[in-house]
This record gives sequence, structure tokens and C-alpha cells, in this order.
Amino acid sequence: MRWPRSFWVVFSKEVREGMRDRRALVAALFFPFLGPALLVVMLHLVSQPSRQADELGVDLPVAGREHAPNLVAFLEQGARVVEAPPDAEEAVRRGDVEVVVIIPPDFGKALRSGRPAPIRLVTDESRQQPRPSAAVAERLLSAWSRQTGAQRLVLRGVHPTVVEPLAVEHVDVSTPASRAASLLATIPFFLVMALFTGGMPVAIDATAGERERQSLEPLFAAPLPRSALVAAKMCGASVFSALALVETAVGFGLVPLALPATRIGFSMHLDPWMLARILALCIPMVLLASALMVMLAARARNFRAAQTTLSLLMLVPALPGMALGLMSARPPPSLYAIPFLGEQMIITRLLRAEGVSLAQVGLSTAATLGAAALVAAFAARTFERGQPLFDA
Amino acid sequence: MIALEGVRKSFGRLEALRGVTFAVPDGHITGLLGPNGAGKTTALRIVYGVLRPDEGRATVDGVDLARDRLEAQRRLGVLPHAQGLYARLTAREHILYFGKMHGMSGAPLERRADELVQLLGMQDFAHRRTEGFSQGQKVKVALARALVHGPRNVVLDEPTNGLDVAATRQVRALLMQLREQGHCILFSSHVMQEVSALCDRVVVIARGLVVAEGTPDDLRRQTGRDGLEDAFVAAIGSEEGLA
Repeated sequence: MRWPRSFWVVFSKEVREGMRDRRALVAALFFPFLGPALLVVMLHLVSQPSRQADELGVDLPVAGREHAPNLVAFLEQGARVVEAPPDAEEAVRRGDVEVVVIIPPDFGKALRSGRPAPIRLVTDESRQQPRPSAAVAERLLSAWSRQTGAQRLVLRGVHPTVVEPLAVEHVDVSTPASRAASLLATIPFFLVMALFTGGMPVAIDATAGERERQSLEPLFAAPLPRSALVAAKMCGASVFSALALVETAVGFGLVPLALPATRIGFSMHLDPWMLARILALCIPMVLLASALMVMLAARARNFRAAQTTLSLLMLVPALPGMALGLMSARPPPSLYAIPFLGEQMIITRLLRAEGVSLAQVGLSTAATLGAAALVAAFAARTFERGQPLFDA
Repeated sequence: MIALEGVRKSFGRLEALRGVTFAVPDGHITGLLGPNGAGKTTALRIVYGVLRPDEGRATVDGVDLARDRLEAQRRLGVLPHAQGLYARLTAREHILYFGKMHGMSGAPLERRADELVQLLGMQDFAHRRTEGFSQGQKVKVALARALVHGPRNVVLDEPTNGLDVAATRQVRALLMQLREQGHCILFSSHVMQEVSALCDRVVVIARGLVVAEGTPDDLRRQTGRDGLEDAFVAAIGSEEGLA
């Protein structure tokens, strides 16, 4: 029987069997949604404070406004002063408001007599998330305090700069868009994870699993070119890997629908055309991942050992992608020739709407496909010797 | 026609076969008999092409496995030592899968599958997934997939292992039927009753060497013993590993 037919017979059986395997289907169909779901949650968290602080202005609850009209007028220049809740401390503790400024009745009297005027700033320091309105309140109050102090010094004939040896100026260049965009760096990572987890059950089942259930020997006794056998198993795993990948990509495509651009402050380039390009970039990775998994699982001592090995394998290509998120410098072009890393770099560039050259895509695709062919050839050689059957 | 010529095979420092030569003619049932660990399975695995000999050669109908493994395997039906099935495929799907691997397809393959289901009495479970099959049902599925392409030569490694009496008799009847049709049948066993009940010819193997060969009568003459059992023991040189 000729090679293509042998390949097709085994390949279609692997896919059919995989489709009947609940574990394989769960891996291929369920896990891929975790990435996009996580991204929605993270984007939501990141976008919330910035939405308040930068776009709509900060709400600043102030109690006792009638005691200090001048101060309130000053605060109104930097925030929207609103009615404070009746029980300020309880409201802050519950998280209804981030901060309450309480101006006591004797504020005016203390101020006029030149004593430090009491003012209470109620916040909850145990809260981890950014509290922009608390920060704004502190900044405004200290600015007013400095300004008033300066006026007093001037009245007494002292130049205000005498008590201000430092002039620190904060320049925060982060925008909601840049903060959220850093999260996009996780997308390539999730894509790589998806293509490994999707193909893993089938890759193990078709090799270590077949040996453990003793169905590999009849297969080796059949008149099949061993290279066709290996290729069919690798491509069988690829089908499920690709399934998981497509689902993950579609999931990410749905993220902008869950979080409109006006809410997160920037638009994500995740339209179908972008997704199609990303998926095309992933095809070589699917083949290489499946080839690696089948090759390693075929050499594993048993089913369990194969699971352990492949779980570790999955981290290897995912880690550079994580590092990529932290890498700010311009990566050298040769990095594109590293399988998995090159693709992740290209996808990240696409997502950031940075230019991608044909040379980068060509180099990365050729390198990954070449690696997949090498792994497949190596696996075919071990299969030809019958090693997966006996040498485990 | 199956032949081994001067086959040697070692696993590390263990010499499993130390120069084994024997021939299995068409139209006969040949039993490969020997105690556990004698090298029976290794010899059969070399015949059906999942192991390669270190020295010597194995041929099927004159086709050297080292030269053209696929052509030799096409001429073989194999019931290996390991008879694992695919839990998520039905019994009939197993037959079809192996038929396709042997280049069959379409209506002829479907007809052949139905024929085997009839022949082996698998009607009750042909369309069930093999998960949870009894040992007897499993062996029937494994036999059916081994015979799907109507091979001239049939190799069976301990085919009645773990079978109950009824199933054992069915397998024996099948082997005799194949012999009537002129097939070349080689099966291994460490059960003497089985060998004496079925075999026209016996190859006795012990410690990686052929120690006796011929019809059961030849064997009795060679060893000067009356009972076949005594003859085996005499040929092997010990009672160890026989049943």
C-alpha cells in the first residue's frame, strides 16, 4: 500500500478515536477559553481606575463643606466635589467610596488663629488596587496647605521658596491604552499553551497509550511505512491542537465585544483578518508541537511518564514568550529563527500594530517547519527500528 | 511458507535467539513449542517484522523481511502476543481498520468483515465498542483483524491464552479450517495438549536454539519416548516452564 493511503488510514482512525475521547475533547474545547476569559478579567481590572481618573474626573466626597468654602473651591478645581455619605468611615471600609474628606466645624476658627487647621482624610490603606481619588485628595490638600503657608510667609516678609528646597515634578507617561496593551503580550503565550494542551491527550494516547494497551504491536505488524505511521499520529494530534488554537483565537476575538474600546481606553486589533493572520502564523507551531509531543511520548516509559514529560515540554516554549512581555529592548533579528519565540514575537508585533516584515515571517516559519521535519524524521527512524514498542 | 535461517537476536547481554533455523510449510499447522523464555515470541516477532534479527534472515513466501518488509507483512496475518484493542472503536471498526491498512476498501471490505463476524460468531458484539470485552471476545476481534485480508500465512502467538474451553475449541476449529484451505500456520504455545491436538509439525525451541523438529511421531522416535510429553521434556532437557 502506498504512503499517502497508509497515512490517511491511520490518520483518520486517530481523529475518529480522538473525537470519541472525552478527555481529548475537553482539552481541545474547554481549556482554550481560559485565556480569553482571563484577559477580559485583567483588562476589566486595569481599565477601571483609569476610567475614573483620567476620563471622567475623580469624585471627591467632602463632608462639612460649609465650614471651608475657600478650600472646597480649591478642591473643585481638581476633582468633582460630591456629597459625603453619612457614615464616612463605614462607607470607606465597605469600599463604597475610596476616600472621604471631613472638614470639622472648628476648621475656620483654627485657620484664622494661625493654628494647624484639623482636617480628616478617611481611606482604607489595606486595599491593594490603585485609589486615584484618595491620591488626588491628598495631592490637592497638600497643595492648598502649601499655598496657604506660602501666603502667610509672604505676609511676614519671608520668601516662600525658603521652605521649599526641592521642586519634585511627577511625570506619569502611562496611559490606559499602554497599561492595557501590556496585557496583550499574554495572547501569544495563551495561544502556545492552547496548541500544546489541545494536542497532548491524542499525542499521548496514540503512542504511550497504545503501547500500554498493547495495540501498538499489531500496528507494527501491519504493512505500513513507519514514517507514514509517525506522520499520521503527529497530524492526528495536530488536528486537536489546531482545534484548541482556533477556539482560543476566536475567544480572543470576542474579548473586544465583552469590553468595548471606549471602556478600556484603546481599541484592540483583533478583527477576523488579524485572527486569520495569527492562526496562519501558528500552523508551523502546531506541527512542531505535535511532532515533539508524539516523539517524546513514544519514548516515554509509560502513560504517566509521558504526561509528566509533555507538561514540562509545554513550559519550554511558553517561557520565552513570557520573557518577551518584559523585554523592552529591540530584539535582534536572529531571535526570529527560534521556533515558538519567533512566532510569539511576530504575533506581539501584529497586536501592537507594529510593522512585520516578510523576512521575519519567512525566517520564523522556515525555522519552525524545519524543526518539525527534523523531529518527525527522527521519530520515524526510531519507529522504523521498532523502538517505541520495546525500548521504553 | 515461512522460514528462519540462522537467526540470532540479543537484547543487551541476553541472547534470546542463538542461531535459529526452521521452515514452516503451506497446508500444515506448525507448533512452536518451548518453555517460557525460550525465545518463541522473539522468533515470531522477527517473522512478522516488528523486530530485526542481528544475524540471519526471515522470509515469508521467499520475501526477505529485511529487503521488503511491507511485501512480507502483506502476506502475513498476525495475532501478536499483545492483542490490545482500541477501547473507543467497535469490533467491526477494528476489522475495517486493519483491512484498510492492507489496502482493502469499499464493498469487498464490508463483505469480508461481515464474513468474519459470521465465521467467528461475533454477531452479538460486532457493533459494540471493545471497552469491557471478555478475553474471548477480545481474541476473536484480534483474530478477525489478523485474517481480514485473507493472508496466505498466519502467525499466532499463544492464541488460546486465557480462553475458556468453548472459545479454545472455536479457535482450534478455525485453525484446522485454515489448514484445509492450504494456509501456512505457525503458532506458539507452551501448552503441550494444544500442540498435540492441533499440530502436524512441531518445532521445539529452548534457550534460544531449536532442539527438535518434525512431526509428533518423528519427535517420539528421535527421543525414544512413547508419550509426547516425555518426548518434549527429553528434547528440552528439563520440565521447567512447560504446562
